[in-house]
Amino acid sequence: MSTAASLHQSRKRKNAVMMALCVIAAGIGLAWLALILGALIYKGLSGVSLSVFTQMTPPPGDAGGLLNAIYGSIIMTIIGIVVGTPIGVLAGTYMAEYGRFSRLTTVVRFINDILLSAPSIIVGLFVYELMVRPMGHFSAIAGAVALSILVIPVVVRTTEDMLNLVPNALREAGTAIGAPRWVVIRSVAYRAALSGIVTGILLAIARISGETAPLLFTALNNQFWSSNLNAPMASLPVTIFQFALSPYEEWQQLAWTGALIITLTVLGLSIFARSLTGRREDR
Amino acid sequence: MKPMLSTDLNVTDTAVEKAKIEVKNLNFYYGQSKALKDINLSLPERSVTAFIGPSGCGKSTLLRVLNRIYELYPKQSAEGQVLLDGKNILDRSQDLNLLRTKIGMVFQKPTPFPMSIYENIAFGVRLYEKISKAEMDNRVEQALKRAALWNEVKDKLNASGQSLSGGQQQRLCIARTVAVKPEVILLDEPASALDPLSTAKIEELIDELQADYTIVIVTHNMQQAARVSRQTAFMYLGELVEFDRTEKIFTSPREKRTQDYITGRFG
Repeated sequence: MSTAASLHQSRKRKNAVMMALCVIAAGIGLAWLALILGALIYKGLSGVSLSVFTQMTPPPGDAGGLLNAIYGSIIMTIIGIVVGTPIGVLAGTYMAEYGRFSRLTTVVRFINDILLSAPSIIVGLFVYELMVRPMGHFSAIAGAVALSILVIPVVVRTTEDMLNLVPNALREAGTAIGAPRWVVIRSVAYRAALSGIVTGILLAIARISGETAPLLFTALNNQFWSSNLNAPMASLPVTIFQFALSPYEEWQQLAWTGALIITLTVLGLSIFARSLTGRREDR
Repeated sequence: MKPMLSTDLNVTDTAVEKAKIEVKNLNFYYGQSKALKDINLSLPERSVTAFIGPSGCGKSTLLRVLNRIYELYPKQSAEGQVLLDGKNILDRSQDLNLLRTKIGMVFQKPTPFPMSIYENIAFGVRLYEKISKAEMDNRVEQALKRAALWNEVKDKLNASGQSLSGGQQQRLCIARTVAVKPEVILLDEPASALDPLSTAKIEELIDELQADYTIVIVTHNMQQAARVSRQTAFMYLGELVEFDRTEKIFTSPREKRTQDYITGRFG
């Protein structure tokens, strides 16, 4: 047998081994995901009923629902997004447009990246010191502020990235027709980057709707219905945290159901975000 | 009163024509490096002038000085004078947005805005004019007709500008530029990304537009310069080597460097 042929054989063997390793690694990753989803659906689905969406969290040993927790999560997420998104989009716009060549942009980007990967419990503690201690009590608004602090770096990052993808030629074209800078940004750059920026906001929603740690120190929890922003408010993640640790079966069941609801919501948002970016790539 | 002599016919020297743009002692810098060296040039009104030369010779840079688009980027600066109808546009007091409504520009890659065909044209008009819907419709139609695009798009004005073919997009960009009624149109290699048929259409269009506009075109394609322009400027390493009537440049250039370039000996 010639050397070339044996070399070829050994390469084929190495290739087969490497490919097998890659497939196994991918399989393991997917298997965990499938197991988690499977367990959630198996344990959570049986608890899904109308009462989950119409009744308050029950005292131990009683039947009930998750209405106050779902409401609290929605309210705090909405406020977090409404407060965090404009700041994030404007900061991203500064970095990609006005401050494109400025030193400040490099600094802000660096700090933003740190904030992006900061443990959320630290954000919770920060808001605890900033708002909860001076106010003397936990409150929904403090929870919303903590969430908005988590929203900002995500939105800053995606907004800057998406605006940077807009070709400079398009900005030059807008400028060359006599449009002032802000009109070029608003009517040309934003429009070209719209689906990407919206995707970033959706991903931010997905991120904060599952956050537990920042709410533990801020909004705390509430066993009852409360729409008072100045008082503790229930939320799905914290309720799951509390109920899953409890010894009561009804609570554990509600925790599974709540986890399923959050997971499906995040999954839905991610798929929607994907479809937005996908459509842009098709063009 | 100036007599209108029929014997004027044999006066072809560009120097006697009214200059729309005069470039005087222009130097241009990218940071520390000098990209244009003491350029002096006079662009006659309502005619086509071509800038030719090898890559990096400064022809696009010179074009980008004429509407000061270079100011989008830091560390780029121009010295000297560029007179538009006798007024220095490099002056600090010059309003850049107004300047750019007078001097339109079309780029190498077609750059339709991410909006409908109609909006692509209305966008620029709306910036400086308040006109009724009917007037705007008319304005859009006239611009598209001027750019020889009307027949192809009249039934789909609400379609995205980016859905058009490359050649159509480029004509849309020309229509968009014409719609704001500029006096000068700058074309930066407008056909280099297009197929031969679209290129022919663009060249035909340039020929028609010169009746109303002063046109400056940067091109890599010497045949194109010969076909569309009346004057040609040959640039090399940031210098203006030779500027003359196009026939003269292509048949009996004064400079050896011009001769070498147009005969393909370098560049």
